Amino acid sequence: MNTIVQNILVFIALAIAMWFLLNKFGVLPKKKTSGSKACGQDDCGCH
Amino acid sequence: MPKQINVALIGNPNTGKTSVFNALTGLNQKVGNYPGITVEKKEGICKLPRGVKAHIIDLPGTYSLNASSLDENVVIELLLNKNDKDFPDVAVVVSDVENLKRNLLLYTQIKDLEIPTILVINMSDRMAYKGIQLDIPYLEQELQTKIALISTRKNKGIDQLKELITNYKELSSTPCLSASEIDTEYFDKLRKAFPNQLLYKLWLVITQDVNFGKVDRNEIDAINSFKTKGKADLKRLQQKETIKRYQFINNTLKQGQTIDLKTAKDLRIKLDRVLTHKVWGYLIFFVILLTIFQAIYEWAQVPMELIDGAFAWLSEWTQSILPEGVFTNLITEGIIPGLGGIVIFIPQIAFLFLFIAILEESGYMSRVVFLMDRIMRRFGLSGKSVVPLISGTACAIPAIMATRNIESWKERLITILVTPFTTCSARLPVYLIIIELVIPEGRFLGLGYQPLTLMLLYLIGFGTAIVSAWILNKILKMKSKTFFVVEMPNYKLPLFKNVALTVLEKTKSFVFGAGKIILAISIVLWFLASYGPGDSFNNAEEIVTVEYASENLSSEELQQKISSHKLEHSFIGIAGQAIEPAIRPLGYDWKIGIAIVSSFAAREVFVGTLATIYSVENDDVDTITNRMAKDTNRTTDGKLFTLASGISLLLFYAFAMQCMSTLAIVKRETNTWKWPMLQLVIMTAFAYVVALIAYQFLK
Repeated sequence: MNTIVQNILVFIALAIAMWFLLNKFGVLPKKKTSGSKACGQDDCGCH
Repeated sequence: MPKQINVALIGNPNTGKTSVFNALTGLNQKVGNYPGITVEKKEGICKLPRGVKAHIIDLPGTYSLNASSLDENVVIELLLNKNDKDFPDVAVVVSDVENLKRNLLLYTQIKDLEIPTILVINMSDRMAYKGIQLDIPYLEQELQTKIALISTRKNKGIDQLKELITNYKELSSTPCLSASEIDTEYFDKLRKAFPNQLLYKLWLVITQDVNFGKVDRNEIDAINSFKTKGKADLKRLQQKETIKRYQFINNTLKQGQTIDLKTAKDLRIKLDRVLTHKVWGYLIFFVILLTIFQAIYEWAQVPMELIDGAFAWLSEWTQSILPEGVFTNLITEGIIPGLGGIVIFIPQIAFLFLFIAILEESGYMSRVVFLMDRIMRRFGLSGKSVVPLISGTACAIPAIMATRNIESWKERLITILVTPFTTCSARLPVYLIIIELVIPEGRFLGLGYQPLTLMLLYLIGFGTAIVSAWILNKILKMKSKTFFVVEMPNYKLPLFKNVALTVLEKTKSFVFGAGKIILAISIVLWFLASYGPGDSFNNAEEIVTVEYASENLSSEELQQKISSHKLEHSFIGIAGQAIEPAIRPLGYDWKIGIAIVSSFAAREVFVGTLATIYSVENDDVDTITNRMAKDTNRTTDGKLFTLASGISLLLFYAFAMQCMSTLAIVKRETNTWKWPMLQLVIMTAFAYVVALIAYQFLK
């Protein structure tokens, strides 16, 4: 029983870790946000 | 419920806007005694008297409303667009008591946009020291505003400023200078063509070189009854405008400000003469660098040993209290060593940031920028590129964002492309652990070999950045002309609070930013190292027992052989051995190969990865450094970490583009994948070749 529980916990931890990494590095699709306004929404025209 | 007041903090660079922002909001945004710290707007909430709330926006520093760089556009975009949700109800122009004349130019421009404006005169604590006296009632009358004389360092005048913001409706919106004074005939035509628009706003839209997303310049050009002047005429009018403004400012200050010049000439001039001297300046900077790196090593030794021991104990203790099983192994062999491998470097990173914060706060960093400008010019860059290169010692991401204040696109692009060569804090754990393994502890002229190696790596990074800049300057065919004006702030005694906050923030972002990635990667790596396909992995115990049956190994030695066999046949072992042929000529084995691949997520993951792999392989309670020191290279049968492989690895990390987040930010800033991909390929190929030559030459 203990072995099964420990194995389940390992796979849960692995799934969370994988989800975090995929999300962090943009592999999973992200919700669209309103984008940074730091240099304007449009082409700033400087390049 | 009363409406929230929108307040915009505007001012020249390095007048202390962010300090005012922090004082009003209670937040702890990064401040520094050199220009260009804020390149994006930052927001916070301030509680004002009588239950009123203000939404404070800290805008990047700008010298005028004539934008020449991206960060200055942020200010003008906001002030010219009344429909923006952040359009200020009141503008707070922050000025420095010692540079009032120059600071007032921006003030008069904002006032002419008919936005209620408060003038904040900061650094009032230096007035007596500098022999400055101000006639505040007279200045208020002439500038048609309310003035808050404050000192953020001494926390004085903030309550008065809050009171003025609360009563912003009482402020006069009368302009300082009537725009039509610039050219009566031209502005009359403009007024007739656009009777409902503010004249000075129209003038700004016409004269700006850039397109504002929300302010329609084409609208003006489309009106037939009004003909815009040619570029040269517009420039002449702009110059006339500036002269008129300075005439007004000079007349106002003639009576409103008195400066005792005898008092004003002080230690600063004498210090500047030495610290920016063409020989002594560089020598002093070099000595400061040597002292910093020596101190990083000497002071951090004790806390590092304590942390190292604590993690080894934590792993052992956790194993003793948890039931045996794979999840316990994941915690004790994967997570704890993985995190411990990185936490150990906190003392050295904190000391590095402590020194950088002191140099910034004291005003010395601006002198370094000035010194470096002399070098940079020879390589086709201006001193404006130095700020990103220096701030790259913390992290390349904010450094690349800091390039927004470079007006020339060519210069900005080159700075973006070469900044990742600067030694960031993520490289530090990799350098420190390899240096400890392969560089002896001896001393040369009282300076340790290890700190000297570390300093050399920083210099190699900076040197490569400027040589690459020179090459790129020759290759890239873009027209560019830029001028560099550096602001020399006053020398100040660093404020303990500011220094402590910077160290805390930087260390926190190092631990938590990379920590989450390391934790996740440790879990994945442990899994890949603890599971494997086929009989070789599943029957490891039988295979090894049969193989070593004749060698009379102790049970501990046999267990060690089984662990090594399992690791080599695990998923990670198979993957590592697949890439090993490519990295073997550099003196690395498959474990280092896996660490290099995983550290593409973030460089510091290299240490965490090795800590996890060695922990799975070896059941003994030992530190990561000792485990790495004992490991052998299967190809040479000698030690894995030798001077040759160590130097090769150090050089690989000095040059390789091992950071996904940096690539993402380069893509964002250049708006194309072309540049980050070129950066990735060229930097990695260069790193590989240099590491290969170093290993083959030294082995």
